[in-house]
Amino acid sequence: MVRSARSGEGYRGPLLQTVDSSPVSADGSLVLGIETSCDETGVALVRGTELLVDAIASSVDEHARFGGIIPEIASRAHLEAMVPTLRRALAQADVDLAEVDAIAVTAGPGLVGSLTVGAAAAKALSVGLDIPLYGVNHVIGHAAVDELVHGEFPARVMALVVSGGHSSLLLVDDIVTGITELGQTLDDAAGEAFDKVGRLLGLPYPGGPHIDRLARGGNPEAIRFPRGLSRREDLERHRYDFSFSGLKTAVARWVEARQDAGEEIPLADVAASFAASVADVLTAKTIAACQRHEVDTLVIGGGFSANSQLRELAAERCAEAGITLRIPPIRFCTDNGAMIAALGAAALRRGVAPSDLGLPVDSSMPLTLVTR
Amino acid sequence: MPYLAIDTSSAVAVAIVADDGATLCAASALEPRRHAELLAIMISDVLRDSGVARDELVGVVAGTGPAPFTGLRVGLVTAQTLGFALGVPVHGVSSLDALAAGAVRALALPTGVEVLATGDARRREVYWARYRVSETPGIELLAGPGVARAAALVANGMAAGAVVVGRGAAGYPAELPSAEGAPLDPDPADLVRLALSRLAAGEVLPTEPLYLRRPDVHGTPAQP
Ligand SMILES: [Zn+2]
Repeated sequence: MVRSARSGEGYRGPLLQTVDSSPVSADGSLVLGIETSCDETGVALVRGTELLVDAIASSVDEHARFGGIIPEIASRAHLEAMVPTLRRALAQADVDLAEVDAIAVTAGPGLVGSLTVGAAAAKALSVGLDIPLYGVNHVIGHAAVDELVHGEFPARVMALVVSGGHSSLLLVDDIVTGITELGQTLDDAAGEAFDKVGRLLGLPYPGGPHIDRLARGGNPEAIRFPRGLSRREDLERHRYDFSFSGLKTAVARWVEARQDAGEEIPLADVAASFAASVADVLTAKTIAACQRHEVDTLVIGGGFSANSQLRELAAERCAEAGITLRIPPIRFCTDNGAMIAALGAAALRRGVAPSDLGLPVDSSMPLTLVTR
Repeated sequence: MPYLAIDTSSAVAVAIVADDGATLCAASALEPRRHAELLAIMISDVLRDSGVARDELVGVVAGTGPAPFTGLRVGLVTAQTLGFALGVPVHGVSSLDALAAGAVRALALPTGVEVLATGDARRREVYWARYRVSETPGIELLAGPGVARAAALVANGMAAGAVVVGRGAAGYPAELPSAEGAPLDPDPADLVRLALSRLAAGEVLPTEPLYLRRPDVHGTPAQP
């Protein structure tokens, strides 16, 4: 069983644009966050808005040969990794468990079996240490983690959370008490579309990074693939929603037609043109939402924010529109414990009531619930 | 010197058990789909009702199954993490061992009698293990644990001549008639009694789960 590990102490990532960092919160409560919604076992410690440690164990290598995450394998790995990862996080931060003031854990959305392991561990810590428990929303955690990197959010920010499992556009008046979901994907998530197109092009799983690499050597304007939900009549009903399954089908048809004609497939151009469509739709709708809601700060989170075309296009369009763009370093964009500790710490600072020990996990936890 | 015992192989069952094996407080709920929601509440309840403070616990003992995956993991990760939080050792004991030991006591079975302990494995199968009643430590494992159809246990002779107990067999009365008055589920106090006698004999008691089934890797993989 292969595990990868990474950790960091009080890390501050590079800024894409200069932002005014808020001072670290006066509230120095120490929150331990646990994330197990998919195949990463994440444990982090956050004091106020300062990250002390972010430890992770991953079962990703065990899934690669199946071409996707096998839920039972992920759940088994979470059980094996839980106490060792807790132990490692505390040792690296040189923190005694008795110093921890509250526990935060992902309550959803995610894989039920995986979520269940993390929630049970979090409850055991809550009982064992007699401290409060906060079950928090994973998707909102992807936005909240940026506060650890670039400081507390200004009064109103837009958050685009994109990964293999989610594509959501959130208007954030307060990361705990003021989340409005403006849009989401109606079918595939952005990263999921990349993995599917990767399979279509015969690339190894996960397809995202492979397409990204290929795309850098291709012409993004070579093929004009459709932009999902961007026609006038679609915009009326789904102004800020996304859809990538039609795009995936268009890529498949284009590739098949070339294959049938016995032509060679210009893989780099296909990848670049496909990625251009995804980045175009994501950024166009997001910038439009920022302008309509008069928001001057955009946060992009989730594993798909590693995508180069999305990053470049978002930077370019934000600069044109005078919007400050905040994207945390990639290790905070993929699933991790820091995002959960950050959101738990924010809930604690706002005096939100803790969860009770009966906290259920919710594989499709709605964005209307930040904590539960 | 109280221990906390947890078994989630069938019901959600917890107990605070003294080091002489006496149950100080116990709770159980037969809600196989709600292990994750109920377990921590029940632990908190038995601690309160027994008057035992968290930091008085000297160890945690968990049933390692065999059992369906999710519920079993809830029990084991809870035991491991709680032991870590309290700084006390965590020991694992097969849930079928505890069930067999409970049957020996409940039915006053004499030395030499053989017991087939069973659990509900769903998917039309039962978890099973076969034991002989011994002088000390009370039960001796002869075969298993395994997972099989009830009819297969009859066909291969594994059920022959044994006192049959447990919730697995209860679902198949025609193939595996259960002994009258036999327990259906493990008593968590038996986990502690077995753990203490095994520890005294110098055994190490790991908490690795007895899944007995490989992960189902068919169907559509999930997305991160
Ligand atoms: Zn995620």
